[in-house]
Amino acid sequence: MAIPHFLVVGAGIVGAACARELAREGNRVTVIDSGPGAGLQGGTAAGMGHVVVNEGDPDTLKLCLRGRELWRSDAPPMSERDSYWETGTLWIAEDEETLLQLEGAQKKLESVGVVSERIDGRQLIKLEPALAPDLAGGLRVPHDGVIYAPTAAREFLNASPKVTCHFGVSVKNIGDGMVELTDGRIFEGEAVIVATGISVLTILGEAGARLAEKVSLYPREGHLAITARGTRILDHHIVEAGYQKAAHSTSNHSISNHSTSHHSTSHAGSKSGSVACAILPRQTDQLCLGSSRRPGEPGPVDPNMMMRVIDRCERFVPSVKTLPILRTWTGARAATSDGKPLLGPVPGLQRTWIAAGFEGLGITQAPAAAELIRQRIMGESCTLDPWPWDPARPYKNNSALTKRESDHA
Amino acid sequence: MRDSICIHVDGASLRVESHQTVTSALMRSGISAVRKSPSGEPRGALCAMGSCHECRATVNGVRGVRTCLVNVEEGMTIEREQPVLKTSMGVSVVHETMSFETDVAVIGSGPAGLAAACAAAELGKTVTIIDESPGPGGRIWSHRGSPPVEARPWIERARIAGVQRLQGYSVIDGKPEELKVASVKDGTRHRVLCSSVIIATGARERFLPFPGWTLPGVVGAGALQSLIKGGLPVSGRRLVVAGTGPLLLAVAKLAVSEGAKVVVVEQASFADRSALAIPLLLSPSRWRPARELWNSLRGVEMYTSSWVTAARGQQHVQEVSIRTPQGIKTLKVDGLAVGYGLIPESRVAAGLGCEIDEDGFVRVDEHQQTRVPGVLCAGESTGIAGSESALDEGLVAGIVSAGRNPRSRLLARVRRHRFWGQAIEKAHPLRDEVLQLAGAEDVICRCEDVRAGEIAGCVSRREARLIHRWGMGHCQGRVCEGSSMCAALEGSDSVRPPWTVAPPEARIETSR
Ligand SMILES: Cc1cc2nc3c(=O)[nH]c(=O)nc-3n(C[C@H](O)[C@H](O)[C@H](O)COP(=O)(O)OP(=O)(O)OC[C@H]3O[C@@H](n4cnc5c(N)ncnc54)[C@H](O)[C@@H]3O)c2cc1C
Ligand SMILES: Cc1cc2nc3c(=O)[nH]c(=O)nc-3n(C[C@H](O)[C@H](O)[C@H](O)COP(=O)(O)OP(=O)(O)OC[C@H]3O[C@@H](n4cnc5c(N)ncnc54)[C@H](O)[C@@H]3O)c2cc1C
Ligand code: FES
Repeated sequence: MAIPHFLVVGAGIVGAACARELAREGNRVTVIDSGPGAGLQGGTAAGMGHVVVNEGDPDTLKLCLRGRELWRSDAPPMSERDSYWETGTLWIAEDEETLLQLEGAQKKLESVGVVSERIDGRQLIKLEPALAPDLAGGLRVPHDGVIYAPTAAREFLNASPKVTCHFGVSVKNIGDGMVELTDGRIFEGEAVIVATGISVLTILGEAGARLAEKVSLYPREGHLAITARGTRILDHHIVEAGYQKAAHSTSNHSISNHSTSHHSTSHAGSKSGSVACAILPRQTDQLCLGSSRRPGEPGPVDPNMMMRVIDRCERFVPSVKTLPILRTWTGARAATSDGKPLLGPVPGLQRTWIAAGFEGLGITQAPAAAELIRQRIMGESCTLDPWPWDPARPYKNNSALTKRESDHA
Repeated sequence: MRDSICIHVDGASLRVESHQTVTSALMRSGISAVRKSPSGEPRGALCAMGSCHECRATVNGVRGVRTCLVNVEEGMTIEREQPVLKTSMGVSVVHETMSFETDVAVIGSGPAGLAAACAAAELGKTVTIIDESPGPGGRIWSHRGSPPVEARPWIERARIAGVQRLQGYSVIDGKPEELKVASVKDGTRHRVLCSSVIIATGARERFLPFPGWTLPGVVGAGALQSLIKGGLPVSGRRLVVAGTGPLLLAVAKLAVSEGAKVVVVEQASFADRSALAIPLLLSPSRWRPARELWNSLRGVEMYTSSWVTAARGQQHVQEVSIRTPQGIKTLKVDGLAVGYGLIPESRVAAGLGCEIDEDGFVRVDEHQQTRVPGVLCAGESTGIAGSESALDEGLVAGIVSAGRNPRSRLLARVRRHRFWGQAIEKAHPLRDEVLQLAGAEDVICRCEDVRAGEIAGCVSRREARLIHRWGMGHCQGRVCEGSSMCAALEGSDSVRPPWTVAPPEARIETSR
């Protein structure tokens, strides 16, 4: 019997994780990416690498949690510099009102067994002396951490000799179980997993266009900066409370209707974009400073936006402007119109799957998403309920969805 | 007048002469290692002109100061390994941002920048020169105390014409009508608002990695020149000046005149260099300097078709191996200066959106105009052709920025200079051997300690950067992108702010 062969289009963190999952079961996997290697283009090359259990909504929370579990227990071998580093997240509330929100967040985390700890203003300074002295308090999530995604993507692919990679060549067309490259080559397989990030619906041709009528995908640009070595004045990943909530729980359109963070001047849906403090320590003794959200493809670094980000970081860590900045960059998160990734078969096709639209949580969720894709493709029972992410979710009453629902154990 | 002043290095007091850079004061006091690399190797100044960032230290409490760009001052504190303060107490953020308005902003005060500033100002424009060095003059006219005679008329003309100077400031960001500058001493940011920009950022040395090139005491060829001009005594020192190009001879001449024992090691062959004979014959103005140079180097041990294969030493270079047509020679040395020609410094131009050619030069038309309206470029960043060329190109740029037409004689001169520059370049082709000196274990990216073996399988710059951290350090690739391994990588890196890594804009002021 021939060894089953799968195709993965896109070697970002998600595609690479999918390839590893499928190869694990003894399948042959062919990976195609237009970039010069895994994780070198797209969101994976730009992302911060905070592995965070985000309490946005219960489904998102579960996907993050499973992702984090897998990063902690099942990451590919990497040098100490790049591997999972359990810094913990410290969510910071600027004032009493935000602190209340954090209490609510803690309850939600507790309900799914995520350990967290409330920290009052005085303890906060003891825990992280570099924080501003006037902050109301925080919530510490100790098992969150940091991963360097480009190396992780590469090592996912290196993990198995069953994976063959084709870099530097684009996919032009995707049929059902078939992929056509721009250089004319055609690959066929049991199934195709399309994980090309922001371009996923375009690349899927007609099927993608049909789906796009129901769920749209759009880029949300972010600005980041990195400080020089020898500047790691924080041990935790520091994030201001309310930030990810605003970013992940709502879509581009709805976010402007109810902004959750009262201090940000504007929101992700508006042209000027929003900024929030997120500071990530790196094993290289550096700090990564973020971040912003603004609709659109990533352009050249906009000095004004970068300044807003750093100003916001300074509110929480006053000495951040005493650290030299080495480099700045932008990247795009692929956001869906309902705030959830597309993870499952492409409606109308039998052998073509989609794994994209993770907004700012793709690194965290990649291992869980890949596991889920494998389990569904191989017809195994799923660790998580797959339906919240099924691409057919907008067709709620559609028989295709109800039919498939029966195969979920 | 040179007074003796007191500085504090890692807590110890040191008496040094005034009017010299911190780098040269430290070297004179026997401190050539200024910092530790990520893997703990001692490192010291390499380029002595602000591009390698290897000499950085914490100066007066400001992190990341390039010590080659600041002069010593009474009471100055210099800390080599400064741990970060994990505190928010007593942090006062100093924002001294001011705006300067000017018609023409000139970036760089070398020959090109000075000439451009004079021309524009004499035609009625208000002009501001921005330069990160402590004094005007650029590379060739770098000095200690008073400027060299060649530079004085230009500096004087600029003063009379009312040219403003922001000396000690790097241009780190901006757009054609608004430049952001940062003080090399304390990071203070200012804005320069202007209607046109003349980029005259010159060139830097090309460094090629070889075993031992990261040892303190191994510096660039031009770096040695700057250090000597900045006051580093070399009398009685055994120095090897190696690499390629006419700069080696100029440096050797200076070192010899200061009493050093110099060995020159030029990788180009005699045959290659004799190709210069015809262009030299056609260029009478160069006869006398050439003859003088030649006479002053009489008696200097000189090898052609030869190159340094390794440097060795404990904490400081002590021994150099050179490959000569007669075989390997090992020399005991006090210092090694090695540079493989010049490469354009075009980061600011790229950041402003100018077109850069495949060799890194800024593309300009006959009037020194780039493709970006209101942005001109002159001097070595448009082509390596020496200081006379830089002066003439600067004049053209200055005249054009004032809305006038340069005379055709001036334009013809610029064309002739370019011809000379190309001839020099052709006479010093880099041989394959010098491009492949680094072994797998040798560092190729000094800032991040990336070794040649690590990027051996890489195809793209992105991979080298993102996976192996090549080019991710303080100099942002200025040093390591010159190596052949890096040149072989596909793709290019885009320039983004900060165009030069500057000290942080704020400092901690501990309240007592
Ligand atoms: C500023 C910023 C900060 C972030 N911070 C975090 C964080 O802290 N934590 C976190 O969990 N997430 C974070 N994210 C989100 C995370 O980076 C992304 O969700 C994740 O990287 C997406 O991975 P992906 O594999 O889906 O897509 P991508 O990484 O975009 O990969 C898609 C791949 O497909 C390839 N491709 C595209 N089109 C074609 C084609 N036609 N043919 C062949 N190949 C093609 C591309 O080359 C690319 O390699 C951040 C994102 C940004 C922008
Ligand atoms: C190390 C070195 C030594 C040299 N020695 C000689 C020699 O002995 N004889 C000889 O004939 N030629 C020498 N040259 C060649 C010399 O560069 C040219 O002859 C001539 O000086 C070029 O003039 P320029 O105005 O184009 O640039 P430069 O003289 O190089 O001046 C450029 C100026 O721009 C400044 N600058 C660059 N970037 C920024 C920024 N972002 N912000 C602010 N300021 C900036 C620099 O500080 C510098 O002062 C040397 C070159 C180098 C690199
Ligand atoms: S040598 Fe400075 S970044 Fe490579």
